[in-house]
Amino acid sequence: MNAFELVRPTRLEEALEVLSEDPETVRPFGGGTALMLLMRSRLLQPRRLVSLDRVSGLDRLDLDGEGNLRVGSMVRLRDLELSATVERFCPAISRALLTLSNVRVRNVATVGGHLAHGDPHMDLPPILLALGASVVAQGPAGPRQIPLDQLYLGYYATSLQPGELITELVIPPLPEGTRGSYLKATALSADDWPMAGVAAFFRLEQGRIVEPRIAVSAATTTPVRLPAVEAALAGEAPSEALFSEAGRLAGRDLHCLSDLRGSAAYKREVVRVYVRRALQQVWAGR
Amino acid sequence: MTREVGRSLPRLESEAKVTGRAEYIHNLTLPGMVYGKIVRSTVAHGRIRRIDASQADRLPGVVAVITAAEVARIVQDPYYGPAFHDQPVLAVDKVHYVGDPVALVVGEDRDVLEAAADLVAVEYEELPAVFDERAAAEPGAPVIHEVIRPAATFTDLKNLKPASGSNVAMAYQLRHGDLEAGFAQADYIFEDEFHSHQVTHTPLEPIVTVAEPRGDGGLDIYTSSQSPSFVRMELARLLKWPENRIRVRTAYLGGGFGAKLYMKLEPLAAVAALLLRRPVKLSLSMEEQFYTITRHGATVRLKTGVTRDGRMVARACTIWWNGGAYADIGPRVTQKSGFTAAGPYDIPHVSIDSYAVYTNLPPAGALRGFGIPQLVWAYESQADLIAHRLGIDPWEFRWKNALRPDRPHATGTLMRDAGVLEVLQELKRLMRWDEPFDRGSGTRRRGRGIAIGLKAAITPTTSVAIVNLYGDGSCAVYSSTVDMGQGSDTVLAQLAAEVLGLDAREVRIVHPDTDVTPYDMATLGSRSTYHMGNAVLRAAEEVRHQLRAIGSEIFKCRPEEVELQDGHLVAGERRVSFKEAMEWRFGMQAGNLIGVGSFTPTYKKPDPATGESEDITTFWMVGGNGAEVEVDTETGRVTVTKLVTVGDAGKALNPGLVRTQLSGAALMQLGFTLFEEMRFEDGQVVNASLADYKLLGMRDLPSSVVAEFVEVGATHGPFGAKGIGEVGSLAVSPAVANAVFDAVGVRITSLPLTPEKVLRALKEQAGEIWEEVE
Repeated sequence: MNAFELVRPTRLEEALEVLSEDPETVRPFGGGTALMLLMRSRLLQPRRLVSLDRVSGLDRLDLDGEGNLRVGSMVRLRDLELSATVERFCPAISRALLTLSNVRVRNVATVGGHLAHGDPHMDLPPILLALGASVVAQGPAGPRQIPLDQLYLGYYATSLQPGELITELVIPPLPEGTRGSYLKATALSADDWPMAGVAAFFRLEQGRIVEPRIAVSAATTTPVRLPAVEAALAGEAPSEALFSEAGRLAGRDLHCLSDLRGSAAYKREVVRVYVRRALQQVWAGR
Repeated sequence: MTREVGRSLPRLESEAKVTGRAEYIHNLTLPGMVYGKIVRSTVAHGRIRRIDASQADRLPGVVAVITAAEVARIVQDPYYGPAFHDQPVLAVDKVHYVGDPVALVVGEDRDVLEAAADLVAVEYEELPAVFDERAAAEPGAPVIHEVIRPAATFTDLKNLKPASGSNVAMAYQLRHGDLEAGFAQADYIFEDEFHSHQVTHTPLEPIVTVAEPRGDGGLDIYTSSQSPSFVRMELARLLKWPENRIRVRTAYLGGGFGAKLYMKLEPLAAVAALLLRRPVKLSLSMEEQFYTITRHGATVRLKTGVTRDGRMVARACTIWWNGGAYADIGPRVTQKSGFTAAGPYDIPHVSIDSYAVYTNLPPAGALRGFGIPQLVWAYESQADLIAHRLGIDPWEFRWKNALRPDRPHATGTLMRDAGVLEVLQELKRLMRWDEPFDRGSGTRRRGRGIAIGLKAAITPTTSVAIVNLYGDGSCAVYSSTVDMGQGSDTVLAQLAAEVLGLDAREVRIVHPDTDVTPYDMATLGSRSTYHMGNAVLRAAEEVRHQLRAIGSEIFKCRPEEVELQDGHLVAGERRVSFKEAMEWRFGMQAGNLIGVGSFTPTYKKPDPATGESEDITTFWMVGGNGAEVEVDTETGRVTVTKLVTVGDAGKALNPGLVRTQLSGAALMQLGFTLFEEMRFEDGQVVNASLADYKLLGMRDLPSSVVAEFVEVGATHGPFGAKGIGEVGSLAVSPAVANAVFDAVGVRITSLPLTPEKVLRALKEQAGEIWEEVE
């Protein structure tokens, strides 16, 4: 690993100023779980790391006046996992965190890093995408809010501008009665990166599916919502046949990537099955 | 009555390990020490046109850049290897795989060295490369080593004849009975091919060596090696020095599994230290281990003739071992494992052809089982297949064909002291084989499978031990057996304590230091308990003999009447402590009582034409595994819910350690079975990290892990004990695959059993089309 300078500003403005010096060689540092691997394999050789651990105001974890869940970018994944607020707000998030990597990683990895990394194998982005979440980014041009479906542009590519930092995650409140599920398939060990992740949410009104949201990750270059599948589900009565059809549609529309963990064809099979199973789980209220 | 033998004493070093106080070479720093970083080949096969180190040399902090030209100043003939002298200290003219060491940059700052290594510019003329063991063995394949020179270090390898001008480095053959006549008697003939994949050891402490030139012209080597005696011998040969100028020390190893055998970093560290006249530390990263040593991939073809009533009458085995670019110990795997390829079965007509094949992949060597798991994968998958085809219960089929006591193995050696039947019976009991079994429903189907493997101890090899009783009556054992987590310190202490009437916890085990501890062939192949155990027993008995002689003088009785109990000499009502005995003997608290024990088993070299010998191995190892699995028929995912391991321990000197060795080996092999796999693109490992080469984790453990042993005493083992370190790994893969077959009716013939592979097979079975996607 190359030598680097570590700076630990206490104010956000200070951090942004240092980061704007040269976004190529000056990089932000949250928990370092991904960054250190990149540096150790010399894919990334920053000259200066800006640690955000002392920056005040990035550790919020609460509901705002409008009922949005607001999560500061330096909140550790482990804190998110153990938060009663999160559990009440959306139990699917808490459950997903239990098998997100391992507890040693969750203890140090941060929400901001998890989202900014742009790695499609992350567990939270598909859930957050399904929930219509957005992030607040701050940079030289000031703050802006980026909906998650506009954050991920490609494999490890985000729409964050040079010098821009995610400071907050904003998840809008879920309509009453919405239930969700996140299922992931791993091809290698159980604690491996997911090979495919599926998030599914809907609620029932008079026995009909309302506001279905389906997102897929890991099998694809970025986490994606599946509008065609959602459209096919909306207004229908839940049934095994409907969920199977949703799975079929999901597989049909998806562009999967072949890699060590599986061929594109296999991933598509798994997405078909997991979309169906995730919907069944939501229906069963598990 | 024994007090120490048979006692489940916890490992003596447990406390030091959990409190972070155990010694590892990984943590060693010496005054004035510099670090080295290996520059590795980026091509799979090529001639080196030019090495330009000038840019790296100019980088501040770089002390030296060493290439083959500098190596030649210290070692004129830089080739080494336990079987063939085919591996140069640094690449000479040619590189043979992606990762082959080409140069070494040396400096004080390891981070600078990484940058420096990138700056060493190497130009190659690429040559055609070959990666598959079958393709490499074909005539016309690019020849990887033009000339192969045999080593002659080990007796058992002396008659290996390398074949130059071909990638088949060595061909071993066995001919037993009359194969054609055998197949003529058969009602059915089964021909199947099975494939094992490349995996690697991933010891938690990566391979590390520190070399330090001594003021007196000698050299000290501190190394995480499983074979310190061999390292000294081979380094002395390379340097043309007497062995006594080189001192090799080890400490605890953070795992070995065969990765740290023979020479790894030692020659390069030694050369660098001698060139620079200062201590040099070379330590691999986890990633670099993938480029250093692996387990052989193998293709095994079996043709088996069976009678209608389920007796195997003839079997022809052909094995191609993917040895990678350097032979390492592959030729021993080819022969010593090769000769067991027909399995623990009584088959009158057998032929075996086993080929060590060079390819342009990282070198393959020994990994917990010495090639046996690859063979068991084939013969136990086929055994299951035959049993199902014939409508015979898989356990009954094995029982019917099992080699019974005093029947000849295919080598001609009679089966003695081998618990084939006992292991089968215990496996049946623990698997509740005769009881009804829940087969699952819907998309979750359950199945169970068993398998059994046979391994021969590598023979002949030597172990020497010294037992030293100090002036105060305390005791130390000097042994070059390396404790890499298997618990050898504890067991050797128990053996010495048993003989001397001490508590094992009071016995000090002196770790390998070739200036101090005597010769041991190596810590490998489940040999230490048996060989070093015998040596320690003999050494302790010599000390006991001396103590009894002193006792007989003190007590005025015959030596045989003197008992050794709790650190005392006892005769009837009279007792004196060992300390008092020493004072009586030396006139004060002084002196030593020293016992030396040496053990080399008997052996008869096999006939080169038939491979037969009436004394091929000093003991047989038998291990069986059983698995219950759940298969998700929609995703192909296999979940092992129960894993049973049974090994023949001969006599369990420490039952607790025997069980953990059995379960540890089985779980390691379970990772290899389910998903561990080195993946290559054009010879380049593409998953050389623990992020992409996943090991079995806690959440992958079967909910039930059962490890038990049977005890069929070895005539020449210490108290009847045999080695157990590899036994648990032998039959895991076919047990799991057989269970998958039982669950869903698909037979996977190529490891690992990834969900994708299983799902594809399920779709094929159902006649469904698998749509490929671009």
